[in-house]
Amino acid sequence: MRLMHTRFPDFIAKMKAAARLNRPDTEVTIEGMENIKTGKVASLRVGRVECDLVDLTSDPEIKKVQIIVVPRMPETAHTVIMKGIREDGTAKRAILENIILTTPAAECELYDVDEVIDRRTPFRVAEPK
Amino acid sequence: MAELKYKVIPKGAAEGRIPINLIYIDKADVAKAGILMKEACTIVAKDFHDAASIDVIDTSAITVTSDGIVADCAVVAFASVDNGKIDREFGFIGVSEIPYTRKLIEEEPHMRQWDLLHSGKRLYRGPSYEDMIPRAAFNETQTYTGRIANNNTGSEVMDVIDMTEILTPIFGLQEIMQDGEVTIGVAGPEISVGIGMVVRERQGRIFNWAYGAGKTAHASGVFAKTVKSDYPAIMAPKPVLAKKILEALDIDMVPGRDIACSPAILCVAKAGGYPIDLENIEDKAWVELESIGIDRAFLEAETQPISREQILADADRIIPGIVDPKTFKVADISEIRYAHYA
Repeated sequence: MRLMHTRFPDFIAKMKAAARLNRPDTEVTIEGMENIKTGKVASLRVGRVECDLVDLTSDPEIKKVQIIVVPRMPETAHTVIMKGIREDGTAKRAILENIILTTPAAECELYDVDEVIDRRTPFRVAEPK
Repeated sequence: MAELKYKVIPKGAAEGRIPINLIYIDKADVAKAGILMKEACTIVAKDFHDAASIDVIDTSAITVTSDGIVADCAVVAFASVDNGKIDREFGFIGVSEIPYTRKLIEEEPHMRQWDLLHSGKRLYRGPSYEDMIPRAAFNETQTYTGRIANNNTGSEVMDVIDMTEILTPIFGLQEIMQDGEVTIGVAGPEISVGIGMVVRERQGRIFNWAYGAGKTAHASGVFAKTVKSDYPAIMAPKPVLAKKILEALDIDMVPGRDIACSPAILCVAKAGGYPIDLENIEDKAWVELESIGIDRAFLEAETQPISREQILADADRIIPGIVDPKTFKVADISEIRYAHYA
């Protein structure tokens, strides 16, 4: 296994715990993954996010933490699964299509922030023209 | 302190018909400044500060419309800007020049226009694979920063928060750069269908090798006429479009075979009595064309061809599309600004 991975519910729990490590009464909200029920999260970054949250809340002025997860690439590819269900509840036929969805980029969540510390791994970009 | 000129068509311009700030930079001004196009977009983003698209346009080069007509300018870089910034990874794309080769002309019959009408001009269409890095194979030719997505090599601009959009086809951009006139209205069903009628080309502005003349990229049946029908479009006046289509038809570009079977091309060809490869138009494309009243019976009907002059004079009636159109002088709806930089 090249990378270890964290269970998705554990990721949520770890973020909440890390955000409350400095002050247990810190209010924590998490947005952007409401529809995800199961999954695995690359563990290396889970640890870094936990460190970041402890770092963020070490500032006594910060009383609340808002965690927002958006696609790193704002244009995402999705499969539309269209299932035809019989009266008895069994699935007879499914048609698959793909859609491309462009959603607001991370900047949209940052208009009101005084200081942005970007710790994301930079992607290699095309040679500028 | 140096300065860089740019042109803005601001949100709300043209009696409220423009939903998003549109910025245009002349490539010649960037070259004169001795800076990269990415630097130019960054300078303008900082100066303008608000959300906008930016297209850098080379008026000495050529490009190709999605339906295969060669245009006398090219988008050579495009960007999305918001809050004074450009996203460091996805906010800008520079477009690589496509070198002239015999292979390209042989593989892409619509590109005979390059040989016969635009010989020696530099060609830019869509970004190359390398230009698109770090995007994935499925991604559209699109930049994004904050609210703004600038798609299809600068020909569709969206605000993903208020979800407005405007179509900016290349002949409209050409008029903007030339301070000519633009017709602004709602695209309507004919343009919605036409957007899907494309030619097959490598490194295309929107599509690549998947579809060809006579086919539909939409493949949406009767829904094709609705997919883009509600969006505003900033177009060249129809006589300008008719003139460019006629140039292609006059060098024996056959709709459905060499150039696409878009409603605009088919209707100009029909009016002028030019041959159309009806047999090469696939069934899926016919369904979409018939949904807007263009069927084989109409195209095969015996009619007296009209002259080039008559087509140009009557282009507004001959070429279908655009609801509630109104034509504006570009000078009346745009502003020239100067970004100062060290």
